[in-house]
Parts: sequence; C-alpha cells; structure tokens
Amino acid sequence: MVPVLGVAAFAAVGLPIPHFLTAGNLLNVIRQSSIIGICSVGMTMVIVILGIDLSIAGLIALCPMVSGLLMLHGVPITASILTGIATGIGLGLFNGVMVSKLDVPPFITTLVVGQVAQGLALIMNNGRSIGGFPAAYVNIGNGMLLGIPISDYLMVVMMGIGIVIMQFTPTGNRIYALGGNETVVRQEGINVDRLKLFVYAFCGFCAAVAGILLSAQLDTVHPIQGDPYQLDTIAACVIGGVSLAGGEGRVALAIVGTLVIGSVRNVLDLLGVHPFFQNVLVGAIIILVVFASGVSRQRRAARA
Amino acid sequence: MTGAAQRVLKNGSALIFVLLALAGIVFVRSFASLENAAIIARQAAIPAIAVLGMTMVLMTGGIDLSLGFVVGLASTATGFMAKVWGFPVGVTVAATVLLGSLVGLLNGAVVQYMKVPAFITTLGTGYILYGVSQLMSAGNVITRLPPSLLAVGRTELLGLPTSVFIAVGMAGLAWFFIHRSVFGRALSAFGFNARAASLSGLRTARVNVLTYVLCSSLAALAGLLLTIRVNAAQPNMGGGAFTFEIVTAAIVGGTSLFGGIGSVIGSIFGVLIIKIIENCINLLNVSYHLYLAVQGGIILAVIVMDRLRSRAT
Repeated sequence: MVPVLGVAAFAAVGLPIPHFLTAGNLLNVIRQSSIIGICSVGMTMVIVILGIDLSIAGLIALCPMVSGLLMLHGVPITASILTGIATGIGLGLFNGVMVSKLDVPPFITTLVVGQVAQGLALIMNNGRSIGGFPAAYVNIGNGMLLGIPISDYLMVVMMGIGIVIMQFTPTGNRIYALGGNETVVRQEGINVDRLKLFVYAFCGFCAAVAGILLSAQLDTVHPIQGDPYQLDTIAACVIGGVSLAGGEGRVALAIVGTLVIGSVRNVLDLLGVHPFFQNVLVGAIIILVVFASGVSRQRRAARA
Repeated sequence: MTGAAQRVLKNGSALIFVLLALAGIVFVRSFASLENAAIIARQAAIPAIAVLGMTMVLMTGGIDLSLGFVVGLASTATGFMAKVWGFPVGVTVAATVLLGSLVGLLNGAVVQYMKVPAFITTLGTGYILYGVSQLMSAGNVITRLPPSLLAVGRTELLGLPTSVFIAVGMAGLAWFFIHRSVFGRALSAFGFNARAASLSGLRTARVNVLTYVLCSSLAALAGLLLTIRVNAAQPNMGGGAFTFEIVTAAIVGGTSLFGGIGSVIGSIFGVLIIKIIENCINLLNVSYHLYLAVQGGIILAVIVMDRLRSRAT
C-alpha cells in the first residue's frame, strides 16, 4: 500500500519537473540512493526481528577509514576492502552479542557502538579526512558498466542477497518468525541467539559495504560522513512498509522506499530546496509514516 | 539509609567517581587544585541540568535522541532574541525555556498519542529541529551577546559562576520531583509496567507527556547557559555528541535501560565521572577525539557489568 502510494507520488511529482524523468537523472537518483539502499537491506532484517541499528552512521565512517588508511599505507586494495568489511561485521556481531546474550535494548547498544565507531574513525586520522585512493578503488564508485554505474550493480547484488536470505532460505523464515513471536520460536528449539547474531552481523556487513562504496564514490573518507545516512535508512525501510512492530517487511520494498527517499531529495534539489529543509521534511515523513502504519495495523487487528 | 543513597552505593557510580578523582590526583599534574575543581564544576553544570530530564525519560522506558538538537535550537533562538530582536533578559530566558517545553510537548504527544516509538520520534524531531535551527541562523554565528544576558550564567559567587548554582538548584528540584513526589512514584510505576500503572488509575498519559516536556525544557535551559558560557549562539551547539554524553552520564549513573529506575544523585555522579575523564584528557594533552571513544568504552563496561550482575541474581 505505502510503496504504491510512493510510486504514484513519484510520477505525479516528477512529471511537471523538467529533467526529473530523464534516464540520466533517474540513473543518477539510483546511484545516489545506492548507499541508503545497501544499508536498508541489513536494516530491514534488524527491524523485522524488532531491533534497530543506530550504529550504521558510525560504521559508514569507520569501515572505509580502516580500508582507506590501509590502502594509503600500501596494502593491496582487496585486502584493505576485506579488512574494512571485517570491521563492520565484527562490530555488528558485537551489537548482536549485546542484544542476544546480555538482553541490552537494541537502540542503546547500537547507539553506543555507533559512537565508539565514530570516535575511532576520528582518532585514527586525528579528525582529518583522507583521500587520493588508487584508481581501481575510485572506479568502484564512479565507473560505468554497459552505461550503468557500478554502484547500481552493487546495490542490486546486495538487494539480491537480502531477498534470497529472507524469502528463499530457512534462515529467512526463522527471522520472520522471530519477529512475530520470539517465545514460540524458542520453543521450536531454534537457536534464537545465533539468529540475532547473524542479523546484526549482516547489518554491520551492509553498513561496511555502503561506507566503502561511499568513499569510492567521493574518493574521500570524512570521519563523520555517516551522519546523513542513519535516519534516511530507517525512513527508507518504514516507507517500504517494514513494520517497527516486527515480523513483516520485505527487502525489495525497502529498496523501493530508498528510491522514494532518493527521488524526494532529488526533486527538492532540482527545485532548489535547501538540504536543511529537506532534513526537516524527512524527519516529519518518518514520524508520519510510522504513525500511519501503526494505525493501519490496529485497524487490521480490530478487523481480525 | 534512604533508598536513593542505597541505590547510588549499589550502582557504584559514586565509587567510580572517587577512584577516578584519586587516579587524577596521583597521575595527572595540576589536576589536584581548587582552580581545576572549579573548572570541572563549571563544565559539569550544563550537562548536569540536561541529564535530569534524560533520567526521567529513560525512567519511562523511552529515550530522547533530540536532546542535543534542542540545545542547538535554544542556542540559536537565544541569540536571535537577545541580540537581533533585543528582547529583555527575562523574556529571552522565559521564551527559550518555553520553546523547549513546546518541543517536549510535541515529542511527548507523538510518543504517547501517535504511538510512535520514542527513539524514532526523537530521532525524527531531532532532524527537524536541527534543520529549523540551521534555516533560522542561515549559517551565521551570533557572538558578543548583551552583557545583561551573559550575567545570568556568568556572575561569579564564591569563585563559581551562577550556572553552577542554577544546576544545583535544578538538581534539588528534580530530586524532590523524582524521589519525593507523587509524580516520581507515577513515573517509576509507568516505567516498570505502563499497563499496570494505567489499570491502577494513574494518569499515565499525562505523566509520559510531562516527562518529555520537562526533559526538553531542561535541555533548552542547558542550551541557554551553554550559549552564555561560550558567548556564541549557533545551531551546532549540542548536537548528537551532546545527546550521547547525556545518555552516557544517565546510564553510568545507574538509570535502568528498561525503565522504572533512576536516581538524580547517580546521574549527577555520572556527569562528574565523564567530566573528570574529559578534564584529564585535556590536561594530559592527548587527542580530544579520544573522548568519544573513551565515553563509549565506559558506558559499554557499565552496561555489561550491570547485565551480568542482573543475570547472576
């Protein structure tokens, strides 16, 4: 329902605006959305199990900072990228341990882990940005393949992984079940803790990939570059119908949500609306969408 | 011994404070001096005011992630009122705090009546407030505020600025409010079990909304005093880092992550702990960026210890 409205709004708003519905601009929207899109794959899983990940802003800064510094010190590109990704998975796992083994509320542990990651990103290069990466690395973010940005392929691949896990594997079934009713899943003898570890680690993995892609797009790592992506990612998920009440939400629809957010920002850019005002709008949208989805859930519950 | 004192001792924030202070005296040059103690008091005053509200919100089982952005909004508004529009001091102070209460009313109403989770609501309103403050200031910092306004927080009494005394006064009020009033009882009951509290006739909706109003009003007061301390008004005052500092202080001070339990004295010790650490980082002349990571490390350690202990019992 919400995504359909989103697409309708997209067309209605897009038609009167010059340069919006052109192939070049739409590919550009997708490329700009790739960072949020990749994050939203992991965030969808986390929200489905009634969690939240507020650490992605920190990870988007820290992981590429690790990769970037390694690269600038002469470590091969692949090894540097893998180390950055391992950092993301490691901190994601840590989130998972705190949530599953110690029962710490997700918004607290991920807030803290995000700040620690942010702090480390600042310490590692004393608060300065780094840049001037090897051409092959920058090409990941800016290169084209068959006329389509490599970033877009990467987003599609991550989305594909997310869809396969969630819709076509037993793990996906268990993730949905866990979000629906944890007690029942435990009684089925499923290892709930391991499932949570997997989900948070996967979200850390997504944030790491997104951060590294961002640094390749910009040929820069700024130690606080993650900030703008935190709320937009959550907004993308809730617009895509991922329920904060847990148990429901699809990766593909979260990507639709991402494209809606990306288009909104793009349209506002084309109309010359200030980014600060855009933030005001995104903040309001997320609250209203969560409210609306809560109301529709209650209606359904009342009918059932 | 009263319940509050017992909690503080059990939580151990007072002990951590004493150990840290001892470590500072032994290992950090020029830590042990009256001037330095005054510096710590000065730096702790503003977060101490903000932490009172955050403690209450955490006690309801919620969180206020917009707190730092209320500080930025209050700072921007203070600058405009005092310098650009030339409002009298009393009006500026009252209007700033009132602005905070309106934000709190919005947060509380959305959480209570629209049933949007607190962390989403306040993350969203935080974005909105930051955007509004940025649009309002148009990137300008307002400096050299009128001396009459500066006097509110800077007048020295017994070697300490008025902001320290305001913080002590607010802490006293909050202590009475949380630990000695009907409101405090209701807050605690609501935090432990909202449904049970409501069924037993407590006006839980009112308690919940009022808590956010108090939190944002105190944050606005903190923003006002911060603006006065640095003599500059701008949206970047406070922000996410300030919010995190306040959450850290409250949790290190023994506020439960699950609602219901919180202590004013504990939270004040929480503030003093992180301010002593900040002070030592400054005195030791190591990178200031260490501060964020160390804060994070401390809050993690406290959370892990607390969870392990509660599992053991």
